[in-house]
Amino acid sequence: MTTRLALAGLVALLLFLTAYPLAMLVYGSLHTTPPGEAGSFNLDGYRAMLSYGNARVLLNTIGLSLVKTVLAMSLALFLAWIVARTDTPYRDTLEVLITLPFYIPPILTAMAWGMLATPKGGLINLAWTGLTGSREPLVNIYSYGGVVWHMMQYSTPFLFLLVVGAFKSMDPALEESSRMSGASSWTTFRRVTLGLMLPVTTSAFILSFIRGVESFESALIFGSPAGIEVITTEIYHLIHHVNKPDYPQATALALGIMVLMFGLVAWQWQLLGGRSFFTVTGKGYTPRVARLGRWRWVTFGFCILFFVVTVVLPVSQLVVGSFFKFFGFYRMSMLTVDHYAAVWQNRLVWRALGNTLLLGLVGATATMLLGAIVAYVLVRTRVGVRPLIEVLAWLPWMMPGMVLGVGFLWAYALMPGPVQLYGTLWALLVAYVSLGTPLAVRTMAGAFSQLALDLEECSRVHGAAWWTTFRRILLALAWPAFAVGWILIFFIILRELSVSILLYSVGNEVLAVVVMRMWTEGKAGQVSVIALVMLALVFLFRFGERKLVRTHLGWS
Amino acid sequence: MLTRRSLLRLAALAPLVPLAAPRRVSAQAPDAEWKKVIEAARKEGKVVVYNGAVGTPALPKVLAAFEGKYGIRTELLEARASELRERIRTEQAAGKVLGDVSHNGSTITALQLADGTFVPYGTLPNAGRPVAPFKADGTRVPIYVIQYGILVNTDMVKPGEEPKSWKDLLHPRWKGKILSDDMRALGGGAVFFMVTTQRFGKEFHEKLAEQQPHMNRELRGNYPRVARGEYPVYAPFTLPDSLDLKGLPVKALLPEEGSPYVRFDGAIFKGAPRPNAARLLLDFFLSDESQLLYGNLGFVMTVGGLEGKVSGEARAIAQAKLLGTTDPKLQDEMLKLAKSIYK
Repeated sequence: MTTRLALAGLVALLLFLTAYPLAMLVYGSLHTTPPGEAGSFNLDGYRAMLSYGNARVLLNTIGLSLVKTVLAMSLALFLAWIVARTDTPYRDTLEVLITLPFYIPPILTAMAWGMLATPKGGLINLAWTGLTGSREPLVNIYSYGGVVWHMMQYSTPFLFLLVVGAFKSMDPALEESSRMSGASSWTTFRRVTLGLMLPVTTSAFILSFIRGVESFESALIFGSPAGIEVITTEIYHLIHHVNKPDYPQATALALGIMVLMFGLVAWQWQLLGGRSFFTVTGKGYTPRVARLGRWRWVTFGFCILFFVVTVVLPVSQLVVGSFFKFFGFYRMSMLTVDHYAAVWQNRLVWRALGNTLLLGLVGATATMLLGAIVAYVLVRTRVGVRPLIEVLAWLPWMMPGMVLGVGFLWAYALMPGPVQLYGTLWALLVAYVSLGTPLAVRTMAGAFSQLALDLEECSRVHGAAWWTTFRRILLALAWPAFAVGWILIFFIILRELSVSILLYSVGNEVLAVVVMRMWTEGKAGQVSVIALVMLALVFLFRFGERKLVRTHLGWS
Repeated sequence: MLTRRSLLRLAALAPLVPLAAPRRVSAQAPDAEWKKVIEAARKEGKVVVYNGAVGTPALPKVLAAFEGKYGIRTELLEARASELRERIRTEQAAGKVLGDVSHNGSTITALQLADGTFVPYGTLPNAGRPVAPFKADGTRVPIYVIQYGILVNTDMVKPGEEPKSWKDLLHPRWKGKILSDDMRALGGGAVFFMVTTQRFGKEFHEKLAEQQPHMNRELRGNYPRVARGEYPVYAPFTLPDSLDLKGLPVKALLPEEGSPYVRFDGAIFKGAPRPNAARLLLDFFLSDESQLLYGNLGFVMTVGGLEGKVSGEARAIAQAKLLGTTDPKLQDEMLKLAKSIYK
């Protein structure tokens, strides 16, 4: 009876987190008026969705994500090969530097690149003009290329993280056989190494492509000003930048993109065939390291160049931008510390920082606990509702943040009963938990599946209740996975914008929204200061995470 | 940058209508009833303002002065008019109103009034202070007026090429070189569209659309883009913002026909959680202190008799010739027209 009640509670919670906002999206796509207003039902939203304009938007979305993924994957594979399979010096350090951009909120790098590569006044173009005398800019971040470039800042280290482990774990025997049979290094790499990596690279490719389709910041900041819209920005504009919000079309678009995502995720599952894409064989081998001779310094320089371009350049721009009255006007007469004073005195900024940290800490904990419980049910029980729980837990994977945000907006506005989430910090927390649940479930499912059943049985036989066993045996043993998942979700919440921008309210602002707002208000200097504060936090947490991993988990 | 030449040009134009007959109505000492409102407002402890004048430095200064005077904390949520309208509508539909006071353009305020978004403010000691043609109507108080002109980059636009008329924007030299606030959504762009359509006919905008202006919603984020030389011309430009752009190679221009303008109103939301603090703030908007803060930032004050206390530079901006303002009854029709012209 207790088990049934507990399962019913879990299903109810998952229904609230995933099915309820999805149902509201469907409702919104058919309802003629905004939430809370009397109206009727029709298919006008879907009719409006099927327009030439939206077809172009869909083409932009797919095209940008595809180009970004191909380029990022190529770069990530090369970097992973350098770090995992060559004798390039200081590979451990290079691995840390290459993955650093993954932890930096995209909104911050967007602000920095908006200042670095704007056609007039961007530091890169100013330097180009100074060097060559040319009046034509070298780069223009407000373009298709700019959107792809910014998306790659995050995608490349993300893909690197996915494939580098597989490179390290690969059995070198097949490569050695290829070389001994007379194949050149390049042929061996192309036909054997990449061939062995195909399952990993294919699934990583699809995952990155999906993330690209969901992308919001890059397109909003660099695409929209240039008239380049993608699905997520189109949904945002239909709600906030028209005279009357076009909810039917916005929600119909949201559902349309979910259908696309469902197809991609299903394809990914089919390709994976149930295997994890983090390892190829799951066994530890000493990888065969290619001796590069003098070229090892070239590969070293390439990795450092990647770090300089993706981290040093944007951070430097933020530092410079924080000390000049107007960005693009780097004269001594424009030097100022007013931006620091303004941020220091800005209550909104500090409140948003507090909100963000609180949501990150509580959200990551709540998400991982929920993920752990769901993973337990899926992996270690035979209850009949497992398929339903699995579908509900995975549903947010197919819902981009913007789509989830619209769903929750309607869900909160129409929520019956005395408990109201609208306009509270809980509104954001619930949405974040929903967003992070698939990752948490996946992380813990992998860990739980490796634990023998007898450990749990032993605890139960000795009289421990389920929760005690779960907490003191299972979670304790799966603690490394829990910690890694917690950190990933914490950073996801820290940088989250697409859900936050729809659900925040006065008093419940988060830093990403504040930064976005200030950027559109032309306060680039103050944005630079806030960005540096956020970066300091990111580096602090990253340093703490690595210390935790090394000291307590014994990982290197 | 607002040069001496342009200041003289502004000052030479016909004076602003409201300033033609200044009538000073002194602020009244609070009576016993009003003292109760002040006390209740202090107990409420906070007032939340939804502001459509995104990024303007004026309102935060006014709110700081309000906080200093009454010890009541203020919170500000800034977003474009269309976003604010939807936000408060959703809050009221959900029965969870978070905002107390609306600080927004008169067009959107009128539309919201028709939607039943506001409640009457009751008695305000300063309600009788606005001078004609401005008048507090029992629900809305007129706070100040914004006028719009053109911003040009002085490195890219020679003095002889500066647009002297709104119709000069149709010159072929500006094709693809005009940055504009989006005229297809509520805001300054919509004000500009409606006023110039009414004055010059829709043909003006059909020709302007052929100039392929680049439109966005970044408002103050656009000024540095003009200063950096990404675009030589920005229109419509909020004239008071020129005071913030000193040191940059930009100049504000007022076309000879005059400037489109919009009034900014304050009103109390239906269901506001802190109605007394809201009333107190509405009244404060019409105080000498608040009006002079707006006036010294280049906005047209709605309360008369304070012009002598406003700095020369700011007064010159406020005395610009007016072209016209919006008619809320025509807003939806105009937005539709704008969308059909600027695809």
